[in-house]
Amino acid sequence: MRYRTGAIAKRLLFIPVAVFIVITLAFGLVNLTPGDPALVIAGDLASDEHVAEIRAELGTDKPLPQRYAAYVRELFTERSLGTSFFTKRPIWDEITQRFPDTLELVVLGLLGAVLYGSLLGTLSSYFRRRWPDTLSRTSVTITQSIPDFFMGLLLIYVIFYIIGWAPAPVGRIGLLDRPPDRVTGAVILDTLIARDWGLLKTAFHHAMLPVVTLALFYSSHFAKTSRAVLSRALNSDQVEFARACGLSELRVVGYAFREARTPVVTYIGILFAALFGGAAIVETVFAWGGLGQWAIDAMLKLDVPAIQGFILVVGLLTLLVYLLLDLIVVALDPRVSYE
Amino acid sequence: MSRARLVLARALPQRATEPSEGGRAGRALRALGKGALTHKGLTIGFVVILLILLAGFFAPLPHDPIQPNPESTLQSPDGEFWFGTDRFGFDVFSRVFASARLDLPIALAGTLLSIAVGIPLGLAASNKSRWSERIMRGLDMFQSFPLLVLAFAIVALTGNTLQNIIFAIALVNVPRFIRLVRSEALVLRESRFIEAATAIGASRTRVMLRHVMPNTMGIVLAQASLAAAHAIIVIAGLSFLGIGITPPDASWGVMIRVGSQNIATGQWWVSFFPGAMVFVTIVAFNMVADGVTRLIGRAED
Repeated sequence: MRYRTGAIAKRLLFIPVAVFIVITLAFGLVNLTPGDPALVIAGDLASDEHVAEIRAELGTDKPLPQRYAAYVRELFTERSLGTSFFTKRPIWDEITQRFPDTLELVVLGLLGAVLYGSLLGTLSSYFRRRWPDTLSRTSVTITQSIPDFFMGLLLIYVIFYIIGWAPAPVGRIGLLDRPPDRVTGAVILDTLIARDWGLLKTAFHHAMLPVVTLALFYSSHFAKTSRAVLSRALNSDQVEFARACGLSELRVVGYAFREARTPVVTYIGILFAALFGGAAIVETVFAWGGLGQWAIDAMLKLDVPAIQGFILVVGLLTLLVYLLLDLIVVALDPRVSYE
Repeated sequence: MSRARLVLARALPQRATEPSEGGRAGRALRALGKGALTHKGLTIGFVVILLILLAGFFAPLPHDPIQPNPESTLQSPDGEFWFGTDRFGFDVFSRVFASARLDLPIALAGTLLSIAVGIPLGLAASNKSRWSERIMRGLDMFQSFPLLVLAFAIVALTGNTLQNIIFAIALVNVPRFIRLVRSEALVLRESRFIEAATAIGASRTRVMLRHVMPNTMGIVLAQASLAAAHAIIVIAGLSFLGIGITPPDASWGVMIRVGSQNIATGQWWVSFFPGAMVFVTIVAFNMVADGVTRLIGRAED
């Protein structure tokens, strides 16, 4: 136990260094990449004065160390990520406003991916080399080879246009619906809090296709891991013993699945972190209006401070998620320790 | 299976003796060519990719892929426009094939660049030195960044030139090659033939370059095929968002983007055909990866 506490303490001590590196990378993204963002923003026909103006506004006219010092100072003393180049609103407000929407999409999408993927993987390993295995592996091969945005478009065409089960991809709720009072910022949660069941149904309806898209695309990770781990677990001595004791097959598979717990949790953590930015394309397809879609807009408009702020926030979030992941894995699996 | 393994085993020698003639890379390629004939999946995947690439450059296209015809917009597939036209009047069929000119070479170049960076770093990280520890720590930090979004941001900020897109793809794929080469090299360095090479007085660099590196090539090739498949998705994603390749240049992502505005009103063909092409290409790359993995006897199942 003392050994593990030491490892965790070491992991925690590493955090300040990591935070510092993330900040430096976010800074370097704008300031060290070849090319001048001011030139790209101004366009080909801009006059030299105009370019100089934009440089002054972005702060890229000052020498590098001075800029870096100013960036870090602003972060720590004013707790500010700067203001958007176009809307002039603080980046932090822009991000916190959209964060709950993305969180909701990522959580629901991952939930779907875990459930569907684990189901496929379990069927696959239980009926190894028989038709359910072939079927599930073929479907995994197909869903992981269709880019998520194309899958989203296919679903829109089939489920919205042809069958008509899903609403048009216009965002979280219908264009004419009145949004719920903002409490958490997450639409589904807010409708729950407001006890507006009609709107809750609408919100779920609108969330259906983007969630299914993410779930299908990312289920392959869970299907493959659970198949690999379960195939081994189902041949193990303890499963044989459980069967010999006369436990039902469902129970036996349930016990065997515990073995897949650690890799599945690891994948959840990694994908959770990756999806804050990674869901951006799916958000764009369904006009979800979350963090990712906002970041893509910022990239298209070359809103340099917004891009920088987004990278910084997502980088720090990833750090946090990985830290939690490490702690959870240590708690789940006593065999895991550091060094 | 066993025969193919033998063929490759001969091509990627696990011996301390020097090859008598010809480069090892050349022999490995020839052996792969032979092995491909015994593996259906590998052959099909390879041929499909080659056909798409060749069709992109040499196939006679029925219409000009980057010259729209404003009189025929959003036509459904028929005898004249086999895959229909989009809302600008571009012929979808011609553009689907012309896209291979940009998308495939960019994906391959990005993958090659990530291999070129990944192998030396991976080999260096497999040595027991201060540097290996630093490379791995640096990699941990780097990978805790959302790489895909970072790649998007870099292309957006530096401008969407071909070099920048290739660079972004290499960036996303480099970590997997470093890790792969390192873990392979760590296993290989324990083997007898490395011990023998060291015993006859080969320098550390020589052992690395002539004995360890050639033996990682098979698995690197399998991983490269997966990386190329991923690169295709990244390029399509970039272009779909409007950050990567831009119209009128033909790219599958650009075409899907144009069609996405019509799909909710039923004009499925504009997005569907380029999307299907992306799907076929990715499946083909995955088949090659699977085939190579089996060929070198590393398939798990």
